[in-house]
Amino acid sequence: MQACSKHYGQHVAVSDVTLRIVRGQAVALLGPNGAGKTTSLALMMGLTSPSHGSVRLLGALPASPQIHAKIGVMLQNVSVPDRLTVLESVNLFRGFYPHPLPAAEVLEMAGLEEDRRQMASRLSGGKMRRLQFALAMVGNPDVLFLDEPTVGMDVQSKRLFWEMLRQFVEDQRTLILTTHDLHEVDQIADRVVVLNRGRIVADASPEHIKMQIGGRQVSFVIQDASRTVDLRHWPDVTEVQIAGRHVILQTQNSDAVVKRLIQEDWPVSDLMITGVGLEEAFVRLTAREGEL
Amino acid sequence: MRALWSQWKMDMLRTVRDRRVFLLTMGMPIAFYFIFIDETNPHLSASAPLWKGYFMVSMAAFGVVGSAVNTLGVRLAAERKSGWVRWFKTTPLSPVAYALSKILTQLVLSLLIVAAIFAVAHFDQGVTLKGEKWAEILGWLWIGSIPFAALGVVIGFFGNAAQILGTLVYLTLSFLGGLWTPISTMPSPLQPVARLMPTYRFAAPAWAILENKPVAINDVLILGVYAVLFIGLAALAQKWQDARPDL
Repeated sequence: MQACSKHYGQHVAVSDVTLRIVRGQAVALLGPNGAGKTTSLALMMGLTSPSHGSVRLLGALPASPQIHAKIGVMLQNVSVPDRLTVLESVNLFRGFYPHPLPAAEVLEMAGLEEDRRQMASRLSGGKMRRLQFALAMVGNPDVLFLDEPTVGMDVQSKRLFWEMLRQFVEDQRTLILTTHDLHEVDQIADRVVVLNRGRIVADASPEHIKMQIGGRQVSFVIQDASRTVDLRHWPDVTEVQIAGRHVILQTQNSDAVVKRLIQEDWPVSDLMITGVGLEEAFVRLTAREGEL
Repeated sequence: MRALWSQWKMDMLRTVRDRRVFLLTMGMPIAFYFIFIDETNPHLSASAPLWKGYFMVSMAAFGVVGSAVNTLGVRLAAERKSGWVRWFKTTPLSPVAYALSKILTQLVLSLLIVAAIFAVAHFDQGVTLKGEKWAEILGWLWIGSIPFAALGVVIGFFGNAAQILGTLVYLTLSFLGGLWTPISTMPSPLQPVARLMPTYRFAAPAWAILENKPVAINDVLILGVYAVLFIGLAALAQKWQDARPDL
């Protein structure tokens, strides 16, 4: 994606996004609702064309049938074809691709062999999502696009699903998925792109992103408020808020901070460590961007 | 080509499996044929044998219009709403193949409806025509169904309202166009309205073929104008749809 923007009337869904994804990467687009994740995905697979900028997928315009033969897609809020059985749905999609996988292999991968004669529209929510994944995999794709893939999945389906994705990624194929749950993807993605309000606000490894937005908050009550000045110089502390004797520290390494507080025998009580919510993290990431 | 074949096969399967709609589409014109064929009508009783053939053509047209305007519209609306249309756009299935599949399915459905009506008229009412007449009438009903299929596509853009709108348009056009009762028996203020209806212009050439009369060029022209109008509307609706953030 090169300097891409997408407007719907007055509404700007994606604003000046440049993103280069290398073959074999597993990329997660992360962000709150309305951040532009789905629109970015739609631009990448040629469902919509950018208002400004350009998009190339596997070296060509993403809307061409030759390119579509090499991708698999799982969209959000899409049902499965009605009045067809699971097997018939798979065969329908097999007919679309030049080199489809055998139906049996796809069904086995998605754990749906026993449901092959079931009407697809009568499957449970989790199985329906698995069927959608199976249909995305039918063409044996080089690039897999998944929009919020685990929404509507039960725990068992989710586990099976991540297992399937790990195999896909191990084959050195490209995976691009959107999510609003960082913890879901940190095992599978090797790159996380954080979007907010149509812009990229961070682009790094999951560990790095986790540090940035998954920081901890250490709060306590201190006997002697004069000592808090020192806290600002601690290497792991990024922010200090003081209200009377009540202190809140922002840190990437809560373990080290707490250890030091105890080792140096600080007169603190009511010590509490809490995580930072994703929403708050986004606000902070966005605010930081605004300062630049 | 393989994608088209695959899509068409499944479209046919899905059409036949939708029993309620399938039986309604097939059954309604047949039921109407039986109900109205014995109606004693002072204007028509004199030419009873002719009426049987005439009304057979009316009902065949009625059935074809119904499957195009109503069934097709509702099906398209459902597929768009469920998101497959968007999903299909990410597969190698081209939009042309998708449309062709719908058209082929529609043509087969029309063939079944016309054949069913012909069979009922032939075996139950003894309507007999020369072989090429059957084929000519069927051929015209196929070609002439194009504007109605386009109208069905337009109705398909109305989402949840498509079902009601489709039925309304289908029944209104059929009645006003003289498919239920010949326009010569309609109240005189309605007759000029009837002549404007695409349904009338659709059925008139088929009646002409039946009665060994030449096909009026006006019928074909007016129906052609409707075809251009509906196809234009369908294209506009598509454009409007593409500009919306339906993601």
